[in-house]
Amino acid sequence: MALVGNIQDFGLSDFLYLVDRGYKTGCLHLKRGNDAAVLFFEKGKLVFASQGTGGQKGDLLVQLGKITPQQLEQARQLQSHNGNGMSLSQALVSGNIISQEELQQSLQTHIEEAVVYGLFGWPDGEFRFEHGQKPEADTPVMPVPVPVEHLIMEGVRRIDEWGRIKDRIPSTDMIVRFVDQPGEKAKGVKLAPEEWRVFARINGKDTLAMIAQKTNLSDFDVCRVVYGFATAGLVEVVKKPTAPRGAADVPRVKRSLVSRIISRIEKM
Amino acid sequence: MQTVKMVISGAVNSGKTEFIKTISEIEVVSTERRASDDTKLIKKETTVAMDFGRIAISKDLVLHLFGTPGQKRFDFMWEILSEGMLGLVILVDSTRPETFRETNRIIDFFISYRDTPYVVAANKQDRPNAWSPDELRLALRQPPHVKVIPCVAIDRESVKNTLLELLYVILDRSAEG
Ligand SMILES: Nc1nc2c(ncn2[C@@H]2O[C@H](COP(=O)(O)OP(=O)(O)OP(=O)(O)O)[C@@H](O)[C@H]2O)c(=O)[nH]1
Ligand SMILES: [Mg+2]
Repeated sequence: MALVGNIQDFGLSDFLYLVDRGYKTGCLHLKRGNDAAVLFFEKGKLVFASQGTGGQKGDLLVQLGKITPQQLEQARQLQSHNGNGMSLSQALVSGNIISQEELQQSLQTHIEEAVVYGLFGWPDGEFRFEHGQKPEADTPVMPVPVPVEHLIMEGVRRIDEWGRIKDRIPSTDMIVRFVDQPGEKAKGVKLAPEEWRVFARINGKDTLAMIAQKTNLSDFDVCRVVYGFATAGLVEVVKKPTAPRGAADVPRVKRSLVSRIISRIEKM
Repeated sequence: MQTVKMVISGAVNSGKTEFIKTISEIEVVSTERRASDDTKLIKKETTVAMDFGRIAISKDLVLHLFGTPGQKRFDFMWEILSEGMLGLVILVDSTRPETFRETNRIIDFFISYRDTPYVVAANKQDRPNAWSPDELRLALRQPPHVKVIPCVAIDRESVKNTLLELLYVILDRSAEG
């Protein structure tokens, strides 16, 4: 079953988080007016993306000037000799047409800069995620799948208005703290200098306003950076603990009372 | 006679009225009105003020179920309804990601106010294109200890199961005696 919605309501960065944490394999189809894009994921990581309704395939590498049309043909023949199991990228590398590093580098740069980052600028657009859909054999997938965290950070760098940020950070009076186990996650993120400045100030006590003061950055910049960290799942933004009122005014219910309700409902 | 209370909340159209109707022993006291403002685009009838249902537990104990109104302009009711509640069911229409942010806002409201036991019910699982409970957990960024339960509010067994899951959470936190 497909996941459908609109990126106006459930943003691309939220979606990438879902793909990452849900370890998803499949294809995200985006559509906005006459424009369209597809992003393929394998176990939560990006393997290919293209924009435009035609859907780019093997000739992308020819357009990027990385291989000649003859070399593409050569790789395709190698693929067909090997049955269905071999991807175009595998054929290119094993046929010594291009090195894996060069293939990765050119594809990743193109996919990130010419496709994915631009998609973060879409204010709206329908999305549909098809579970399990894999790229066709002629697609030049990246030999090394790309973790989505740093795509998220890059997307967030392009945010220039408060609207979306306010959803997660309603006020600068909130506190930022690291999630318990960011684990591997922090590694995938490449931070810019001003982001490091904010990152280094996160201590689970200071509010966003305090961080802005200490780093000499504007409230907006701090919130945007923290929004990125939060979207990538590195930190959480929480309300300042207020005067303790919670615990005291919720009397703890008696176990026997809850048990009575349970056995009644079980019998309904 | 002792009464205890549970609150059923969630965004407009998430299935609160349906949920209470399915399990209540009395005709649900609902205040459906023809929808006004934005809600009209989604549905004809909406709940104003609240829903009220009831399950008799024993001769001297009654469980009241309160459904919060979905429309924003009735937010002030939430605080009143949440006074002294045993626990909270947050319903989500699993087919409408455009309501997920609002759902988060509702969870935040109740949880920051006091540390209430709650479960998230991933409602309308019978519908095509329903997001699974696992997907909803990620979309709503609920931590692993919060239960996200598959739910079909028009199915009695499913509603029972959701209430029981909430009761187990309450039981875990209850005091001896
Ligand atoms: N298929 C299906 N439909 C459901 C389910 N739960 C609710 N519905 C339908 O969804 C619509 C909205 O349900 P309501 O119970 O009115 O929702 P509500 O949360 O009370 O809405 P407001 O009072 O307006 O906030 C109705 O048409 C219900 O019949 C479900 O589990 N499955
Ligand atoms: Mg209702």
